[in-house]
Amino acid sequence: MNRRALDTVAGAPGRMANPAPAPLAHARPAGLLGDKLDMAGAAVFVAIMVVLPLVLDNSYLLGVLSVALIYALWAVSWDFMSGLTGRENFGHALFIGAGGYTAGFMNTVWFIDGWWSIPAAMVVASVFAIVVGLPTLRLKGPYFALAMLSASVIMERLMLIFWEYTGGEEGINGVEPLFDSPLSFYYFALAVLLLVTVALVMLARSNWGLVLRAIRGDEATCQAAGLNVTWYKIASLLISGAIAGAGGAMYAHYQMQVSPQVFTVVLTITVITMVYVGGMGSVWGPIGGAILLVMMTELLRDFGEWRLMIYSLTLILILFFLPEGFIAPLWHRFKAWVGAKR
Amino acid sequence: MVEILIQGAVSSAIYALLAVGFTLIFGVARILNLAHGSFYALGAYATYLLTTYDWPLVPAAIVAIAFVAGFGVVMERVLVRPMRRRSLLAVLMITLATALAVEQLLFLSFGSEYRNVPALVSAKYTLFGVDVAGQRLLTVVAAIVLIGLLWLFIQRTRLGSAILAISQDPEAAQYMGIPSDRIFSIVMALSAALAAAAGILAGPFLTVQPTMWLLPVVKAFAIVVVGGLGSIPGSILAALMLGYAETIVAYMASTSWTEIIGVLATLLMLIFRPAGMFGKRAAF
Repeated sequence: MNRRALDTVAGAPGRMANPAPAPLAHARPAGLLGDKLDMAGAAVFVAIMVVLPLVLDNSYLLGVLSVALIYALWAVSWDFMSGLTGRENFGHALFIGAGGYTAGFMNTVWFIDGWWSIPAAMVVASVFAIVVGLPTLRLKGPYFALAMLSASVIMERLMLIFWEYTGGEEGINGVEPLFDSPLSFYYFALAVLLLVTVALVMLARSNWGLVLRAIRGDEATCQAAGLNVTWYKIASLLISGAIAGAGGAMYAHYQMQVSPQVFTVVLTITVITMVYVGGMGSVWGPIGGAILLVMMTELLRDFGEWRLMIYSLTLILILFFLPEGFIAPLWHRFKAWVGAKR
Repeated sequence: MVEILIQGAVSSAIYALLAVGFTLIFGVARILNLAHGSFYALGAYATYLLTTYDWPLVPAAIVAIAFVAGFGVVMERVLVRPMRRRSLLAVLMITLATALAVEQLLFLSFGSEYRNVPALVSAKYTLFGVDVAGQRLLTVVAAIVLIGLLWLFIQRTRLGSAILAISQDPEAAQYMGIPSDRIFSIVMALSAALAAAAGILAGPFLTVQPTMWLLPVVKAFAIVVVGGLGSIPGSILAALMLGYAETIVAYMASTSWTEIIGVLATLLMLIFRPAGMFGKRAAF
């Protein structure tokens, strides 16, 4: 199918997909001015993130920001698969946990240098992506979403049941940190996040990403046009899973431990909420969602037990009142405002 | 051997009560309800709460079931209905968010420790030389009775025919003047009541804690995939299969591996026969 036709399908409201066309519209390459503004916005964001820890010089805040960056990595990878194709992944924690436990095992049981755990985690997470994605992504309907959910729940249970090997509730402790200084880790995480986001935004804006959005618009038409829809979906799940797995390994090394927490539905929901806040289908928007929500969580620290309640209520409210999210649409409104001033 | 037979029947009974409601609301309203497990948890907790106020168990259980049915109706009206117009996935999202909110609500009000729902039958019986708790036998009997009543309701009443009609062809049913919105509420209430009953029956011998909703949803999904989404006979048969498969594995190998069976069955079924055993049939 040529690009023009794909564009039409990608913009078309689908039967299965979210019919709101706006997130699709702003995922498309904007005009020259829009591109310049995007670049400027990205540059400002990167500059702030680079300078922030130096200015604040506060180890507590550095920790919060590092965690926010890892969450952002998970949210961006979720959005690349689910935001673009509209196939919502309800078990992203499966990949995160697979990566985390891979890092834990390699580092504490087999004593392999920490740097190997990131590529290994990516491989293991990809295997999980194939095992769950292959049977379910070729089907219409809710099978994929629910199979991902089930798989992550069962993995969490298995981590508890086979406690002799996995440490049960406590998890695996004593994972070595990747860097001696937390500041180095922060910059490493920032670099990984930027690299991944740039790569994924470019992919999303290429013909390849166009096909993914076309699948979201109208899968049957894509299939009729001779596109191997299943292959595209599985490949994007692989990419998404591998990145989430890498993030899981980084998280394990940063926290110096992994526990069954990384497989929980709560983690998946947290990531999805971040994407919804950031704006689904924009790939970069979830970074803002992740930083915003992690900050909010820290501010709500005094509320302790209420934190998760607030998360689920936030998600319900966003589903009702801001289905297009918050950060990406805001940016596009800003761009339109600047464009109108010209 | 007799132990496996009885134990398997108990698991199957709970699974069937859960899966029938889960598949019914999907077959009729196309709502895949991830908050289905919350009905189960709320049923157990509501009964627990009322019995701590010295209510006798039977009225407590009835009030709890009515409360959960009401909760299901309100949830369908307020949260799910606006999402239904958007997409199936929006429905999944809102029901998952609701389930988590309910879990948190239970956690905030009851804490994470296990709670005890009193057993209706505390006596022990000996069946073919095996000791069985009366509550477990009651669970099996109650599940058969409740599902039988549901079958009679759907087959023999006007309302049941309307439910059946919508599950077969929603548009044609609407042309015939069947008020589908009201039917959805009724079906949601039925589905919630069955799940709550499962929670109350199983509460005395399973753990009652805020996260108890999750595993039943996973099991119900596995059952419904194997049985065929929307088919009640399929889900009853699949519930029996899962209940007995888990019991056999638990006795022959180890309880550690029982949890994997459901997910394994789901994935294999989706590879070889995605429609399920009784796929594309009407509700009953």
